[in-house]
Amino acid sequence: MTTEIGQGITVDRTGETGAFGGELLTVNFGPHHPSTHGVLRLVVDLDGEQVKRIKPVIGYLHTGIEKQMEALRWQQGVVVTDRHDYLSPPINNLAYALAVERLMGVEVPPRAQALRVIMCELTRLSSHLVWMGTSGLELGAMSMLMYCFRDRDTIMDMNEEISGFRMHTSYIRPGGVFADATPRFLDMLDRFTAKTMTKNVDEYEALLTDNPIWRRRTIGIGRLSAEDAKVLGATGPMLRGSGVAWDLRKAMPYSGYENYDFEIATSDLCDCYGRYLVRIKEMRESVKILRQALDRLPDGPINVDDRKMLPPPREELETSMEAVIHHFKLFTEGYSVPPGDVYVAVESGRGENGCYISSDGTHKPRRVKFRSASFVNLQALERMALNHFIADMIAIIGTADTVLGDCDR
Amino acid sequence: MIPEALVVDRGVSAGDSWLTVDPAKVHDALSALKDEGYSLLVFLTCVDHLLDSSRNWPARYELLYELRNLETREQVRVRAFVDGDPPHIDSVHDLFPPANWDERETYDMFGVVFENHPDLTRILMPDDWVGHPLRRDYPVGGEVVEFSEEHETWQTAPEKA
Amino acid sequence: MGIEALAESLGQNFLTTTLGKLVGWGRGNSVWPAQFGLACCAIEMIATATAGVDIGRFGSEAFRASPRQSDLMIVSGRVSQKMAPILRTIYDQMPEPKWVISMGACASTGGVFNNYALLQGVDKIVPVDVYIPGCPPRPEDLLNALMILQERIKAQGILPRQ
Repeated sequence: MTTEIGQGITVDRTGETGAFGGELLTVNFGPHHPSTHGVLRLVVDLDGEQVKRIKPVIGYLHTGIEKQMEALRWQQGVVVTDRHDYLSPPINNLAYALAVERLMGVEVPPRAQALRVIMCELTRLSSHLVWMGTSGLELGAMSMLMYCFRDRDTIMDMNEEISGFRMHTSYIRPGGVFADATPRFLDMLDRFTAKTMTKNVDEYEALLTDNPIWRRRTIGIGRLSAEDAKVLGATGPMLRGSGVAWDLRKAMPYSGYENYDFEIATSDLCDCYGRYLVRIKEMRESVKILRQALDRLPDGPINVDDRKMLPPPREELETSMEAVIHHFKLFTEGYSVPPGDVYVAVESGRGENGCYISSDGTHKPRRVKFRSASFVNLQALERMALNHFIADMIAIIGTADTVLGDCDR
Repeated sequence: MIPEALVVDRGVSAGDSWLTVDPAKVHDALSALKDEGYSLLVFLTCVDHLLDSSRNWPARYELLYELRNLETREQVRVRAFVDGDPPHIDSVHDLFPPANWDERETYDMFGVVFENHPDLTRILMPDDWVGHPLRRDYPVGGEVVEFSEEHETWQTAPEKA
Repeated sequence: MGIEALAESLGQNFLTTTLGKLVGWGRGNSVWPAQFGLACCAIEMIATATAGVDIGRFGSEAFRASPRQSDLMIVSGRVSQKMAPILRTIYDQMPEPKWVISMGACASTGGVFNNYALLQGVDKIVPVDVYIPGCPPRPEDLLNALMILQERIKAQGILPRQ
């Protein structure tokens, strides 16, 4: 029996009975299950070991982030954006910061833009590393977890050096960045891009790319054709793994990404292995971008020169009455953003993460909506996993790289 | 091209172009835009304009459909204003499959009822939850923070709601 | 064999202790956590288990996928109203003796999210032994909490929980 799940995309469901006349078995999978990448729950109908129907049930990590943002002032909201897609905090910061800046009509100086790019690419690397470690673990390559977290820890050390915090840096804020890069940070980044990471990506490829077990578990599993991926709204490595060269950093550049020389990683394989290859390539490209950003890091201020938006420097407070007034106003009621609405999309490790803001001109947002890549990509799960074995479903969920914090907000 | 008869108003906000359509004809308008090449529904959401005096809003709930043309990279935001309790609007999940979950989320959070939706149930909150959390007259909730005047206002909904 | 002969045959290889201390020592050095990741803190919990920090030095590297085989639940991240009954079910499925570490600000108090969707502190539904501050705490913080818990387990011995 063929059922249409929308837009001419059909799935072959066997109906109420299995292939050999047996009954379909409904299995609950999650929300506490070690292989679901968080608290994803799937209600799966099985015919023997074959998946015949999947109903994802989400919301187990619903945090009320959007409601919380309405209760926080504009500069306080940054803290909450970190925790929404917790594998790529600076990228969420950037979406929010760019949206607020577009509404305010300000543009950050070049050094801040370059530092933002550096933080975003470091995060993309760490996000892909966590993905590769956990997916490797789920498919039986336990050593991947150890190797990947070694490099992730180097990135966390760099985060700590530049912002004082390992994961949720809140580094990128409306109006600029939190602090300037220290010489030690630049030194660490130099070593990381020149030696550590280029060598280690080769190491990961040596461990996985030609590994027969890895190939058998991923090649031909979870096929998603380019047309289906487009219709289902998939973005990020899911779309590029299906051979569509769509990357927001190239397609709709933001924060100076048009000045960097890098390629869009694509793969025509359309399966789990293709998505893996895309992420490996993206890691190499990220190292390339980091290298360019470090070599061409411009001098200058790291924040916009707007006393209505950012507090004055410490020295000014002792000499200028006006600075004290601005400081007081900023920390008692915050700044207000002109009425209007704006949508800014950025490319996170998972796809298009965007931030829609509607302002009513007060010092708190009227509505903040996060467009999350995981939420949309997860809808393609049924399309990818149908008629596969249940063990392959793990590979498919793994390579879709959904982060449930991002999905449920 | 989208027929001018469907467009109520159009403009640009912070660089994003938008157009307002009649809520009864939102399906026709999105269908026309889709034929024009806007093939991706980036997101769908709602804004509650309760007690918002910054502009002159035609109705309390504003539904937003952000569309993107993947070839020309143009974006357009389609807005439709609806009132009522619960507000009703046509579903567009048959035009854009990703709208399926987005509409369920909007129903869950704002109580907007999407006609012809195949499975309009709560998606983020538990099934037995009462109320629609992102409405402005729904309190933020949580626990009382002592010595914080600001937090008291979180606990309660706006007065005139 | 008489008692003197037994003592002679063992020579110096002799330790006397109470049963409580022995059991506490055994339990304390083999706390198996449930593999129960919720949000951001789960990533740091994984980092604690990897080679850099290595929770295995404290006998807790065996993250069990089934609550039936675990002694310790690390509530790593925010607990939503929808997740709360499931968390309690998992806790109930764990065999006694069992302990709970509330990892991070969200699990302990709700953290920055003081709103309708989150449980304001996991101690409303399960008894918590050790709270870790931080958002998320460093892997070293989790190790410290584990060491505090080990001290308590060793002190508790075979007595039932208060």
